[in-house]
Amino acid sequence: MSEALKVLTANDLAGGQVVFLSEAGWSDRYADAVIFDDAAAADAALEAARAATLTLADPYLIDVAAVDGLPVPTSYRERIRALGPTIHPDMGPQADGGVLVHALQQARGAARSSGRLGLIRRK
Amino acid sequence: MFHYDAIDTAMVADRNAEFRDQVQRRLSGDLTEDQFKPLRLMNGLYLQLHSYMLRVAIPYGALTSAKMRALAHVARRWDKGYGHFTTRQNVQFHWIRLSDTPDVLDYLATAELHAIQTSGNCIRNTTSDPFAGAAAEEVDDPRVWSEVIRQWSTFHPEFTYLPRKFKIAVTASPQDRTAARAHDIGLVLRRNRDGRLGFEVIVGGGMGRTPYIGSTIREHLPAEHLLSYLTAILRVYNRFGRRDNLYKARIKILVASLGAAEFASQVDAEWDAMDRPRLDLPDIELARIRASFGLVPFRTMPPRSERFEAARSDPAFARFARNNVVPHKIPGYGIVQVSLKGIGEVPGDCSADQMEVLADLAERHGHGEIRVTHEQNLVLPHVPLDEVPALHAGLAAAGLATPNINLVSDMIACPGLDYCALANARAIPVAQAISRTFADPARAERIGELKIKISGCINACGHHHVGHIGILGVDKKGEEFYQLTLGGSGAEDAAIGHVLGPALGADKVADAIDKLVEAYLAIRQPDERFLDTYRRTGVGPFKAAVYPDAHQA
Repeated sequence: MSEALKVLTANDLAGGQVVFLSEAGWSDRYADAVIFDDAAAADAALEAARAATLTLADPYLIDVAAVDGLPVPTSYRERIRALGPTIHPDMGPQADGGVLVHALQQARGAARSSGRLGLIRRK
Repeated sequence: MFHYDAIDTAMVADRNAEFRDQVQRRLSGDLTEDQFKPLRLMNGLYLQLHSYMLRVAIPYGALTSAKMRALAHVARRWDKGYGHFTTRQNVQFHWIRLSDTPDVLDYLATAELHAIQTSGNCIRNTTSDPFAGAAAEEVDDPRVWSEVIRQWSTFHPEFTYLPRKFKIAVTASPQDRTAARAHDIGLVLRRNRDGRLGFEVIVGGGMGRTPYIGSTIREHLPAEHLLSYLTAILRVYNRFGRRDNLYKARIKILVASLGAAEFASQVDAEWDAMDRPRLDLPDIELARIRASFGLVPFRTMPPRSERFEAARSDPAFARFARNNVVPHKIPGYGIVQVSLKGIGEVPGDCSADQMEVLADLAERHGHGEIRVTHEQNLVLPHVPLDEVPALHAGLAAAGLATPNINLVSDMIACPGLDYCALANARAIPVAQAISRTFADPARAERIGELKIKISGCINACGHHHVGHIGILGVDKKGEEFYQLTLGGSGAEDAAIGHVLGPALGADKVADAIDKLVEAYLAIRQPDERFLDTYRRTGVGPFKAAVYPDAHQA
């Protein structure tokens, strides 16, 4: 059983686009997201995000599973949110492509962890 | 087409200035998100899965070429080049920035468009017949009454904070193209034996997690008493509708719990006690509203168009003429329906380029009028039959000539989980898969009228309860599954569909629909629609087609 992994997400207040907490502030790219494996650190980051009311709307933590060494949101809702509309592959962050986008697109149903996380730096 | 007067223009301008200030105060931190969210929603701006979504009202679904061009401009300048026409006859832009919204609304106001009454617990945009003013069988123009309701309900102080949202439909034809019986109030305009106009008043219909077909509480309300009677209904609802439970707050729950007869008697008691002349619309005001729609300058023409008939030698045109063109009240004219359900396309989506083509074609061939249907299609209501071939060619060049109105691929689908924060499952990819399964237009015509409606969650924006075949997306242990219902109808023969069996995986739905259709084709009698066959035979043959193992047991 691997540890519970979390990613902190929100919508940008002025633009509305989905953003993720990265090492360098908030990013439009899920691939930049910090992966929390420490619940206290994740909760502290969520509290800080809730205080950032001038830039963010509706911050919350999502569950992530390590699938083939890549962090994949457990729920398909969060995968679609991280990618963009599945009917328009040219729209949203998925348009940039990449290994992680591909992994999210390939995931089905409730993603389950299949081992340890490889590529992405954790916090 | 209705045109604003100075009061309408000032009201929209004031509202936009107020919202601009509210947006500015939110961005500067003077308003919290909790304070701002209800204000944002009252201006049609939702925060969805990927972005803000702006829902623009199209009162009773009536557009002009100028308004359509304005929508195209919004799509191109502030969105990603397209818009989505909804089951509420509105249009949604799915990629709007909060910081741009005040500019978008100011721009829309220049074309007499706004986002008022597209959200919040108020009386929403009134649904009406997209064939208004064109249908031969209508007893009056339902747009006039819809506009009366719009003027009465907009910012109505007593009815701005109802227990829940409130939707009214008005139709004046026996053939219901508004889903009147699935609205909070459905109004069916008729003439009685004395020739007097009156409304059948239907209350308490609705979809969502507790679907109901509305109950008739008055057979023939004299038309001149519409506003006082609506006020009486709204007052009873406002007083007794539940505010403690979001899921029990719609008027359908109140009507069902009291019983329609008791609800009607409470409305009548309220109505009898009120000062009706103060509330009812003066005849002179009704006449003013009626006149503000103007008259379409119809020409006198022979009923049969040789040019139209000759064009039928082209099979594509012949198919379009059979499925998308219906008779008009004026000889020599037709009502042309434009499908936004191209094979494999997103139901209801329309690109900015297509909007501009439609605006041009409507101006050239259709007196500049365009209507939005609750089935997510468009209508050019007044086209001379002589000009339908040229219109068809123009539509075909823009990918808008799909000849499938009311056929199996003419599906309703809500945006679903591809856009919507409330959805449990995607709806659009399911619609696309079904559409591709029935891509052959000859087969689709053989199947005949079949209304498939898909919702991505139990809120039922995709009207699945009243689909001949309804499809509801559910989340089953983290997977998208789809529950089928059969036998629903949103038309004058309204009914709620019945669940067919256990939910199916996403990749099984189109195949299941194919099996249902084959079962129907095997057992239908002459002139039976899918719905008629289902009503005659019951669920048995259909259940056996989709769940053969369950039946062998």
